[in-house]
Amino acid sequence: MFLTRSEYDRGVNTFSPEGRLFQVEYAMEAIKLGSTTVGICTPKGVVLGVEKRVQSPLLESSSIEKIMEIDRHLGCAMSGLTADARTMIDHARVTSQMHAFTYDEQIGVESCTQAVCDLALRFGESVDDDDALMSRPFGVALLIAGHDERGPQLYHTDPSGTFVRYDAKAIGSGSDAAQQSLQDAYHKQMTLAEAYTLTLKTLKQVMEEKLDENNVQLAQVTADGGFEILNEAELKAAIESLPAERVVV
Amino acid sequence: MALFAASAQQEAVAAPIQHRFDPYEDNGGTILSIAGADFSVIAGDTRQSQGYNIQTRYARKVWQLTDKVVLATNGFAADGANFVKKVKQRLEWYENAHQKQMSIKSIARMIQTMLYAKRFFPYYVYNILGGIEEDGTGAVYSFDPVGSYEREACRAAGAAQSLIQPFLDNQIYFRNQTFPADQPKPIPGNLPLGTVLGLVIDSFTSATERHIEVGDGLEMYVVMAKGRAVDDLTSKGALPEGVVVEELGPLGEGGGERTFLVRRTLKRD
Amino acid sequence: MSIQEYNGGSVVAMVGKDCVAIACDLRLGNQATGIAMNFEKVFPVNDTLYYGLPGLATDVYTLREQLRFRVNMYRMKEEREITPETFTHLLSSTLYEKRFGPYFLEPVIAGIAPPTAANPNPQPYVSTLDSIGCITTPKDFAVAGTATDKLYGAAEGLWEPDLEPEDLFETISQTLLNAVDRDALSGWGAIVHVITKDKVITRTLRSRMD
Repeated sequence: MFLTRSEYDRGVNTFSPEGRLFQVEYAMEAIKLGSTTVGICTPKGVVLGVEKRVQSPLLESSSIEKIMEIDRHLGCAMSGLTADARTMIDHARVTSQMHAFTYDEQIGVESCTQAVCDLALRFGESVDDDDALMSRPFGVALLIAGHDERGPQLYHTDPSGTFVRYDAKAIGSGSDAAQQSLQDAYHKQMTLAEAYTLTLKTLKQVMEEKLDENNVQLAQVTADGGFEILNEAELKAAIESLPAERVVV
Repeated sequence: MALFAASAQQEAVAAPIQHRFDPYEDNGGTILSIAGADFSVIAGDTRQSQGYNIQTRYARKVWQLTDKVVLATNGFAADGANFVKKVKQRLEWYENAHQKQMSIKSIARMIQTMLYAKRFFPYYVYNILGGIEEDGTGAVYSFDPVGSYEREACRAAGAAQSLIQPFLDNQIYFRNQTFPADQPKPIPGNLPLGTVLGLVIDSFTSATERHIEVGDGLEMYVVMAKGRAVDDLTSKGALPEGVVVEELGPLGEGGGERTFLVRRTLKRD
Repeated sequence: MSIQEYNGGSVVAMVGKDCVAIACDLRLGNQATGIAMNFEKVFPVNDTLYYGLPGLATDVYTLREQLRFRVNMYRMKEEREITPETFTHLLSSTLYEKRFGPYFLEPVIAGIAPPTAANPNPQPYVSTLDSIGCITTPKDFAVAGTATDKLYGAAEGLWEPDLEPEDLFETISQTLLNAVDRDALSGWGAIVHVITKDKVITRTLRSRMD
């Protein structure tokens, strides 16, 4: 894949002669190893869905946390090196609380996303008087879902610090196939229930295991309810409402 | 003689001299703001004084911040001017970061944090913020120098606060007024614009009469909510003699709110 | 805090059309502590002349007795009632006697002299003195006490010329109540006297008691 790979892929602060930062590109690769994560934006709110890879029957599946709250009106799903997401979400939480404290209003979804991305390129060699920088780029991509005065919004961020707004986006190992099926099935006037179904269908299609309430997690951000992770009953109901699998005879 | 002078000098040097850094001054003047149902009036006199001296008969104390927010500052003029400068800078940064003008409620909270940030070397300024709330109602927020703030229907601050505030309590909050059983006590903050401007003018002429630091000129900023008719301000004969109205254009894209500057003279003695 | 503000209290007087009014609050305090809510600071000299003594409470008693003595002496010697103008000068000289150890009071006087041959049509009269007897005779109103600033503002905004007795009552009441409500050292009730040529109307006002 990286045919022009050379000594330029060592330093995080050195461009290759072709103008590439290899470490950042490799960080993007790390995301493709992560579990599939899906986000869908509807007029009523945004839905987030993740696959939880339960590697062992002894693993407590509820301890896998891939969807997190940033603020009452902001949620986030991740794929890649999820430990890196802690730093980013912590920053997002502090930023949104600071905004609420300073301006007596909730931070905008885009502003919060921008704040997270401002962190992304703060790696390299720190100068003496500068704040300590991170040693490498983040190895995680985020889907940031939120609701503000501009309505429900879904943003995708990557290790390069780029963020883009999507109607529907899939990231992680199955993202290519998942993105294609989102593109085929998405329409602008989706209900939340339809978005759940599409999220689950998309995840199901790229998951190796049989999808059940233990290996997926769903969340939504709406105007009234804010960020909510679906509880077990709600999740089960959403899974049961999936159309029955076609049995190949 | 030379001997005497030398010894006298020595004595003067030997005496302990107390040095104190006192960077504050009181430049007098008064500000006042009253909210209506769909407008807000923010006013201030234009005299700036230092003790018994008048530094200038025209110094601005009231500042248009956004298309729907006006800020009045009173106290130490240098701190006031600098504070307004910093507020404007923060408004610009906010607009760049969030692609919208800051709402009055957010400006109020931001001013609190800016004032409290200097809790131990405060801006010696009393601020009153007036304008239109997001729901279209007229609003007044008042502050102390270290950021304690509150939304109110009216507020006076500065040299003649003690003269004006009791009058406003009576005329705006209807304090100590009783109403017949069939007539409920009116809700403060709903008076018509003509009445409000009349009260502002009366407040300032009264303060000018009895307070030496108040006078010269009066500037009243009137912020009108989106879609509100403005004929009660701009039509002929709507205002008393000697009052001049000027419309100030929108600062940004303009959300439909309109700001007017109403001026008149005050006694100069 | 100055000794003039030790007990708190305020007085206001206003001129109307053929009438005058004088009013005071009823608080007696010990600095910030409230002591009594029936401490009147306005006293009659006769049927058409009242005066108020806001300031140090102990001096209120002393000066009131001093004035009672001197007005009685005047009445006996002159065999007539003292006029507001003369009373003002009596009070002025009484205060100036204590030029270098003054009473801590700022008296306010209100009255209408009874008609006489020399002065068949006496006008409503209001005056005020400083603590050493310097006289001021305003055409509109006089204020004194710990709520002076507030009274000036309220009176300047509410008073207008040629008020009839009932309107004057309303004006002076609103002025006093709204001013003392913004003064921590005045309030706790109020009393108003409206003096006309033929009668005095005295009313006690209900007010906020905080």
